Amino acid sequence: MDADTVATVTDERPIGVAIVDDHPVVVDGVRAWLAVEPRLTVVATGDDPDEVLRSAPHADVVLLDLRLHGRMVLDKLAELSATGRRVVVYSEHTDPATMLAALDAGAVAFLAKHEGREHCVATVLAAASDRPYVPPALAGAIVGDPRPDRPALSDKEREALLLWFQSMSKASVARRMRISEHTVKQYVDRARIKYTRAGRPAATKAALLARAIEDGLVRPEEIGTYRSHASYDRPTP
Amino acid sequence: MSTETTSAPAGQPTGPTRVPPPRTPGGGTADADAAAAVASASDRGARVVAVVIALAWHTAIGLPAVLAAWPDLTAPTLVLVCWLLVAATGVTAGVRLLRGRPLPAWPLAVLLLVVDGLVFAAAGERQLFTAANWVWGTLGWFFVLVLWGRRVAGLLVLLAAHSVIALLAVLGHGATTPADLARYTMYVYGTSSLPVAVFAGSAAIAALARSRADTAAATNALVTERDAAERARHARRAQLARVSHTADEVLAELADGRADPADPTVRRRCVLAAARLRRLIAESDDVPDPLLHELRAAADVAERRGVPIDLVTIGTPPPLPVAVRRALADPLTATLADARDRARLTVVAGPDEVVVSLVVPDTGDDPDGPDDGSPDDGGDPRVEHLQERDGEIRWTQTRWRR
Repeated sequence: MDADTVATVTDERPIGVAIVDDHPVVVDGVRAWLAVEPRLTVVATGDDPDEVLRSAPHADVVLLDLRLHGRMVLDKLAELSATGRRVVVYSEHTDPATMLAALDAGAVAFLAKHEGREHCVATVLAAASDRPYVPPALAGAIVGDPRPDRPALSDKEREALLLWFQSMSKASVARRMRISEHTVKQYVDRARIKYTRAGRPAATKAALLARAIEDGLVRPEEIGTYRSHASYDRPTP
Repeated sequence: MSTETTSAPAGQPTGPTRVPPPRTPGGGTADADAAAAVASASDRGARVVAVVIALAWHTAIGLPAVLAAWPDLTAPTLVLVCWLLVAATGVTAGVRLLRGRPLPAWPLAVLLLVVDGLVFAAAGERQLFTAANWVWGTLGWFFVLVLWGRRVAGLLVLLAAHSVIALLAVLGHGATTPADLARYTMYVYGTSSLPVAVFAGSAAIAALARSRADTAAATNALVTERDAAERARHARRAQLARVSHTADEVLAELADGRADPADPTVRRRCVLAAARLRRLIAESDDVPDPLLHELRAAADVAERRGVPIDLVTIGTPPPLPVAVRRALADPLTATLADARDRARLTVVAGPDEVVVSLVVPDTGDDPDGPDDGSPDDGGDPRVEHLQERDGEIRWTQTRWRR
């Protein structure tokens, strides 16, 4: 997990987390996971996103189970993201297409349920400060993205994502690529930021991008190049 | 940092692992064509004979007789015109027959029968049984020409019609004495028997040749198919022999009591041998996704030992030749057999690249046993093989690029 992500969260107020899941046992489990991190506090739980957010309108991060009562709630996810809610999707549905669809809908991050406490805490902390966090399963989905209109990643970004997906150890990826762990994380996060341009616009995507530019992770012109990719297809006069 | 990088030994002889592409028994149509060609070639001689006999008889015997008997013929011009008509028809039909594109049979047959009746009428009573009434001797051969390649029954019908026309002419000319009728019978028999014999004989020869060629082609296809199957079997047997050698050894040692089942090294060898055999068996299974099937087979062996295996696949591998699949999967088999507490096996596949990776905790001990050098590394130059350990994890990665 990423020490620097944790270090940059300097708010005195604990981060409020709302958990939306239709299985009480999962809610309790996630609550227990988050309890070990003092900067996090669970402010509301329930199986209906609207009810949960009514009872905790100031929740900083929403942990959303993608399947509620037998239905995929991608539309709800898109609605929440459009209004600027930082939604971390966590799901047992880890097929790459679902993960990419969640990113397109505006999810700040996608967490596979089997990925465990470490990744869960790191993801929520990063999400609260509009910073990307890419757990290994999501890295795999991005590196294997077969869609023709997928964002263009650099070779290094692809390699870092691939090795992170394979090994689940940034230290090992760093040794393998002969770069620092910090650089590995930068490659992975930059790839993630490029995905803020995929799918329809959402307030959460804009926030991720703005913070990435502020942090110096990407330069505006890098993203600009990607954005105008399609318009460059037209012949210039 | 103890990072060792080994790339696939490109120079290593690929050995008998490469199964030659089976020679398709698809010569099928070609063989059938060959059968037809054989039949046609054996038939050709008989066709030449039939054409030569018909035209030679018509020219050498029929024409001089007509000219010699000219004053005695009832209507000599008509006889000559009919002769010319039949000669022209015979030449055309003969040429077309030899070129393999015969003229339509039945219109010509009707024409010949009409000529038959006209010549019998035009020859007159006195020339009824002479060579000048050339239809006796020649017409049978022209029947043979126009009906070539058809059933003998057709020829018999025509000859019967010819006999009836001749009989009507004989009776019409009032030649009803027993001697005349006997002569008629002799003529019918004499002029029909030889054409029938040649026609039937050649048909039989052609049929025989065709059936022989068919048989030969079928035998050939069978032999080719068996040959290909045999080669594939040999290749697999060789592979099996190499893989099962390690299994044989450890089993023999266990049976002799030289190896102790409690010894972790012995157990490791057993697992490794089992994993390789299992993968080899999976290789010949007909499944939609053979690479994943083979990896699952290898993972299965480790899983049975209680090692939790995380197998994650992203994308669908393109169809890969068995040598590439082997080179992708084999290097992982040994590591997988060593896995103690957990293993993560991932496949990321796209149309132009397949990356397989196995990550297990680096336990620190050196498992590089004597049989760790993968005996069947595949050695496909398109597959890159990396092996690393950094104290934290042991990392095996194989990567194929188109």
